Amino acid sequence: MNFELTEEQRMIQESVERFVNENYDLDSRVALSGKDPGFSTDYWQTMAELGWLGLPFSEEDGGFGGNQIDVLVVMEQFGRGLVLEPYLASVVMGGGAVKLGGSEALKQEILTGVIDGTRQLAFAYAEQQSRFDLDDVVTSAKKDGENFVINGQKSMVLSAETANQIVVSARTSGGQMDQNGITLFLIDADADGVALENFPTVDGLRASEITLTNVSVSAARVIGDIDQGFSVLQSVANDAMLALSAEAVGAMEMLYKDTVAYTQEREQFDHAISEFQVVQHRMVDMFMEYEQCKSLLYRATMEAVQNPAGAQRTIHALMHLVGKNGIFIGENAVQLHGGMGMTEELRLGHYFKRMLVIDSMFGNADFHLQKFAA
Amino acid sequence: MDIQLSSEDLAFREEVIQFFQDNEMKGGEDYFAWRLGWFAKAREKGGWDVPKWPTEFGGPGWSPTQHYIWEQETAKVNTPFDLPFGLSMLAPILMGYGNKEQQDRFLPDIRDRKVNWCQGYSETGAGSDLANLKTKAELSEDGTYYTVNGSKIWTTVAHMADWIFCLTRTDDTGIKQKGITFLLFPMKQEGVEVRPIITLGGSHTVNTVHFTDVKVPVENRVGEEGQGWTYAKGLLQHERTGLAGLSRSIVALEKLKESARSVVRGNGNLMDDPGYKAKVAELEIDLMASEFTELRSLASAASGAAPGPESSILKLKGTEIQQRIQMLTVEAGGIYSAAWGAKPMGPSFARGGMAGYLSSRAYTIYGGASEVQRDVIAKNVLGLKRAK
Repeated sequence: MNFELTEEQRMIQESVERFVNENYDLDSRVALSGKDPGFSTDYWQTMAELGWLGLPFSEEDGGFGGNQIDVLVVMEQFGRGLVLEPYLASVVMGGGAVKLGGSEALKQEILTGVIDGTRQLAFAYAEQQSRFDLDDVVTSAKKDGENFVINGQKSMVLSAETANQIVVSARTSGGQMDQNGITLFLIDADADGVALENFPTVDGLRASEITLTNVSVSAARVIGDIDQGFSVLQSVANDAMLALSAEAVGAMEMLYKDTVAYTQEREQFDHAISEFQVVQHRMVDMFMEYEQCKSLLYRATMEAVQNPAGAQRTIHALMHLVGKNGIFIGENAVQLHGGMGMTEELRLGHYFKRMLVIDSMFGNADFHLQKFAA
Repeated sequence: MDIQLSSEDLAFREEVIQFFQDNEMKGGEDYFAWRLGWFAKAREKGGWDVPKWPTEFGGPGWSPTQHYIWEQETAKVNTPFDLPFGLSMLAPILMGYGNKEQQDRFLPDIRDRKVNWCQGYSETGAGSDLANLKTKAELSEDGTYYTVNGSKIWTTVAHMADWIFCLTRTDDTGIKQKGITFLLFPMKQEGVEVRPIITLGGSHTVNTVHFTDVKVPVENRVGEEGQGWTYAKGLLQHERTGLAGLSRSIVALEKLKESARSVVRGNGNLMDDPGYKAKVAELEIDLMASEFTELRSLASAASGAAPGPESSILKLKGTEIQQRIQMLTVEAGGIYSAAWGAKPMGPSFARGGMAGYLSSRAYTIYGGASEVQRDVIAKNVLGLKRAK
């Protein structure tokens, strides 16, 4: 039993940390986020060259044969810088779906570009009515000769604006909430009938509402088995939740450390406010909740690698704690920064916004508590 | 990163489980004879009677993972009753600061569970501010003995103890941390008076202890005169890390769920109640996180590093978890949790539930109150100046 990173993982950690320190100061991030495409294509290329985009793919697929622990290492550092590049959407989610469910031909066609950064993917799992339920799918796919024809609407699709292909969950049989009857398709973003309405999200990222009108897709572009796409969907969601949690843990660390630093500078009543016990104890609680999330992140990630079948419950536990503690730490960071915490000038508010979005993406703290207890 | 136990660790776990099976108490056996026999057998295993003692004093020299396995497995079975005062609190101080004579004189009886010790630290004016203690020890003119006068409070099992290890003031001219001296003396002697304190749970475990001209030979002083605070501080750290009790909480949580499932509600049971279920789930999640916080801290200890920041939070989280389990037990008992006294009423788990809960309120007070723990973390981990 050990919690040490391998030599290789330590090197990746250092190199991502250096990248974030050199490139992701607040002003640069705000500037990147504000103009199209909402991130830096140069950075994206750098990430490809450094091999980060290939980490979770097998060597035969052209990757580096890593696993969720390698992704944790990258995402935790990304969280410290609030990195904008579409790593989660393209590598973890879109790439993850093709990796887990794609045919050999599809993997060959798609993954090379994902790994070298020339192809971006997005993952469309949510719908207006589905809230957090992955199995609530109304979008339909009807067989039409060798093709399927898809009609419906997909919600809050992260980084779809710049994606070449989008993985879409659609219903090929069964009722609205049935796990059986869901099929995953890889559709081209510029295919006929695909309409994107793009918009910014509160944390400075980009998402799209997607309307699918008679979109024709070849059966060769089915990911996983027909009607049996849910298991891939759930696995991808699990990996995404682990990655998001790692990002959240990185962001939480910044939030509590920034607060500890700021309260030592800020003087009121002739003292640095960090000298007041009520302030100290609040920061100790922030620190503790961060450490607890980190512990559970390690637990869930190691279980996912070593005992995937048993990891589901721990991932729900993790998402509950990350959602709850992330907001606790964020709210208190704002509170202890006083008026300055309310401004856009300090980075803490940006971290706080990211925590709020993370708590909403794959289900909030309450949702995961119920799943955990079920 | 790897959470699998090595084959050696798995074999060790089997050995531990086997040992517990082989030495279970049999029906009709005398408890006290079984208890001493159990420890003797554990000793034959190579120091299993004193798991935390270093090898030079007869301990088993386990790795942190082995200690973790031992904790996990002991929580699941009935091991004989043991008290920490001599074994886990005084012994490390004697090993670190006592002289050879003191080690030879006191450690064997501690190990054999022959002599019961109690801890004379807190006073009415010295709780969280322990260094404020006033119990006075005056050295005789010929330098052969101290005369102790004063009183201690919250002294656990003082009424059953043979000896006390006691912080006394030998100098009140400097800062209060200086001038504290660590003395050992028998409880059953003239001038030592123990009075019971009955706590909210209705039980008698703590006491006040009063000293009137108690004579303590100078050879019963541990270390230097005036240096007792340094020794005690190391011990407090020892005490705090042992108080998280996570392995026991894991077992207690399973029992709690079982109890709640036995409470019929409509067509289901209490675990179907969304509010109750959510509280149990939140508790379990905090426990799962704390377990790994403990493992992280064990792993950094195993690699020889100083305990990381994560180890500081275990006492706070662990005691809070224990209290929440107690509270949920009371909630599960419903109206029967109100029943008090010797007459058993209601479901079996409800008996003693309230008493257990009330007693558990002390967990966040003793061994460094939660507020003091937060002060310590603020200073040692966050690097902040001592608060106002």
